[in-house]
Amino acid sequence: MFDFEAGDDLDLIVETAKSFAQEELLPRLREHEAARSVDPAIRATFGEMGLAGLELPESLGGAGLGALARVLVNEELAAGDPGAALALDPLGPALYALAELGGEEALRTFALPLLDLDGARALLVCDADADLEIGEEVSGRVPWVPSDRADLLVITRGDEALVVRDGIQGSELRGSGLRAAGASELVLDAAPVLARYCDPQAAGRARARARLYTAALLVGTMRQAASASLEYALDREAFGRPIAHHQGLSFLITDMRAAVDGARLLLHEAAWRVDQGIACEAAAATAFAEAVEASTLVGPNGVQILGGHGFMQDYPLEKHMRECRALGLVQGGIDAAREDAGQALCAAPSPFPLSHVEGAG
Amino acid sequence: MKFEIDKATRDRLEMIRERGRAEARPIGLEADRLGRPIPVDDPYFAKLIERGEGRTRWSGPAPKEPKGGAGGPSQVTVMSLLFVEELAYWDRGVMVATPGVGLPEGNVLAMGTEEQKERFLGPFREPDRPRWACFAMTEPGAGSDAAAIQTSARRDGEGWVLNGAKCFIGNASRSDWILVQATLDPSKGRAAQRAFFVEQGTPGLGGFRIEKKMGLKAYESTSFTLQDCRIPASNLLGGEERYEKPSGFKSAMRVFNAGRPIVAANAVGIGRAALDEAREFAREHGLLGDARTRDRLERAARKLKMARLLCLRAGWLADRQKPNIVEASMSKAVAAEIGQEVTSLGMELLGTVGARGDHLIEKLYRDVKAMDLVEGTGQIQRVIMARKLVGLPRD
Repeated sequence: MFDFEAGDDLDLIVETAKSFAQEELLPRLREHEAARSVDPAIRATFGEMGLAGLELPESLGGAGLGALARVLVNEELAAGDPGAALALDPLGPALYALAELGGEEALRTFALPLLDLDGARALLVCDADADLEIGEEVSGRVPWVPSDRADLLVITRGDEALVVRDGIQGSELRGSGLRAAGASELVLDAAPVLARYCDPQAAGRARARARLYTAALLVGTMRQAASASLEYALDREAFGRPIAHHQGLSFLITDMRAAVDGARLLLHEAAWRVDQGIACEAAAATAFAEAVEASTLVGPNGVQILGGHGFMQDYPLEKHMRECRALGLVQGGIDAAREDAGQALCAAPSPFPLSHVEGAG
Repeated sequence: MKFEIDKATRDRLEMIRERGRAEARPIGLEADRLGRPIPVDDPYFAKLIERGEGRTRWSGPAPKEPKGGAGGPSQVTVMSLLFVEELAYWDRGVMVATPGVGLPEGNVLAMGTEEQKERFLGPFREPDRPRWACFAMTEPGAGSDAAAIQTSARRDGEGWVLNGAKCFIGNASRSDWILVQATLDPSKGRAAQRAFFVEQGTPGLGGFRIEKKMGLKAYESTSFTLQDCRIPASNLLGGEERYEKPSGFKSAMRVFNAGRPIVAANAVGIGRAALDEAREFAREHGLLGDARTRDRLERAARKLKMARLLCLRAGWLADRQKPNIVEASMSKAVAAEIGQEVTSLGMELLGTVGARGDHLIEKLYRDVKAMDLVEGTGQIQRVIMARKLVGLPRD
């Protein structure tokens, strides 16, 4: 039936990620943001934890864990710093297109070499997020990637995934958020396509996993925004009592908590589906859409609760707000996710199978 | 983590679905059209009794089987949430009208003496006819603020004398007995509250008035009065000993905590029905090709799924006897709002067809509003959550 607990094995991994994020990432978030990268010593600590190969098959030296492990870990890392979480993951969501469409061979050829390269980054670019001409070669422009380097580019377009490595010119941007991961515009000039995969079903799963990866970062970021602003609201006094004890503000705090919890449950359910090998595309699109929508409530209201202080960079709330917004823009953003989920909904039989809206497999 | 419904539960849901389509929905629509509760002697109720519905969960005076063991933690609440959601999908009003012990069953099972279970739940084990019972907390001057009830209980010789007025009580005039929440001393708040079995026909219990409602017309919501209503000492829920420690109010609140996700699941069920109807209407009228319509349906389905998961989490915690005050209130605050949004969206897709007043979605739009009112309004749920999350003061 139902179980809302991760279980002992996952709890241990999540605890590890949590302590790392709270002790190493959170206290240095401004430092990493300014440096556009994560401190090498912290990077080394992270490397030793083995979280980078979380979802790589054991046959390739990874931990062979699934989507649920990934989303739980990403939540914790993002609660520390979502930019750092991206910077620390050499494969990022590019892993999914490689693994689902290209299989172990693609992972061996393109992913494994990056793991030995300090600070390497594989990037996933959805064609909706870029202006690319794709033929035998790829030319065009990617307006923003959260990275200062592109060691490998995996471009997804419909049921296809293409791998590009050479012919990519990057120029640094300031970036709206996620600066700890860097920020660049990429220009591709007749970049050779090293591999091209096409498989509708695999592409669907890859899209789902990529959306969950980002949705988890969103959930972690907004969870942190909600808890940091709550803490402030208990401490700050106005009109003779903590501002949290004014009912108007307390209702905002409860609504923010509900938004985080709701998005989080949809995320976990969708990740569970991925791991079960059952239909997961619509569930993942739904989870992503809700995470983005919730983050547009929680991010800005985290700032709101702090009033003027929220606008100042002495507090991290303005950073959470910017990063919520930036994370919600990738993979076609909320509109593409809503369209995918909406199409699935319209195509479902009537009345809905009992498993549909309920989300129970 | 796990999010699946097992085969046996799924089969039972399918049965509810079949019966809902064939029976509950047509009967609910008829009650709505006629603007009156389903009559006590309606053949539908007799049919339910014949096929074994309307029975108590109480298994009788036999010694209980040991708890826990191989079966793992209880799933009573989670299962109830699934069933209630599906029942509400077909008709929430008909669901409440269904014979049985209903709301007070949990209180009696948790707090009742063995003698009280035999006396008050016994007749519901194999009922000879449709039988109802009900729980009466709400008063004209005390809704969500359950600590403020004024109905008084005064000790008088060997018995108790009750005085006061209750309102909006489901099935009250047709109930065999009413579990009445009363206070020994209104100035002492919760600690002074007790629950009493008041049997139908007891002198002083009367003034039954079936309210006229906006929706959910299939069951009666009834006001009544207690005027020097004398009941025996043995009708105090749990018996005298139970109250030597001040825990009366807490027990009532414990029941409410399982109740909120249940009401929330009702809202999800009604919302799902509206979504299904709206989607069919959109399909029939060629609106599914319109991106705006698709977007709105997508949002409705997404929010319903989210609300459902919030309900199930709250129920899952209750089954493990873990604190769920925040989660229970959250599920109710969120689900009731979403239920309203989805039925309202359904009306918008119908356009002026919705304004005719004869479409199922129009009924659902009226019905679902109550889910944001009963067991504490959405605002009260936020107050409850805020007390836990930020220590919002009570005054």
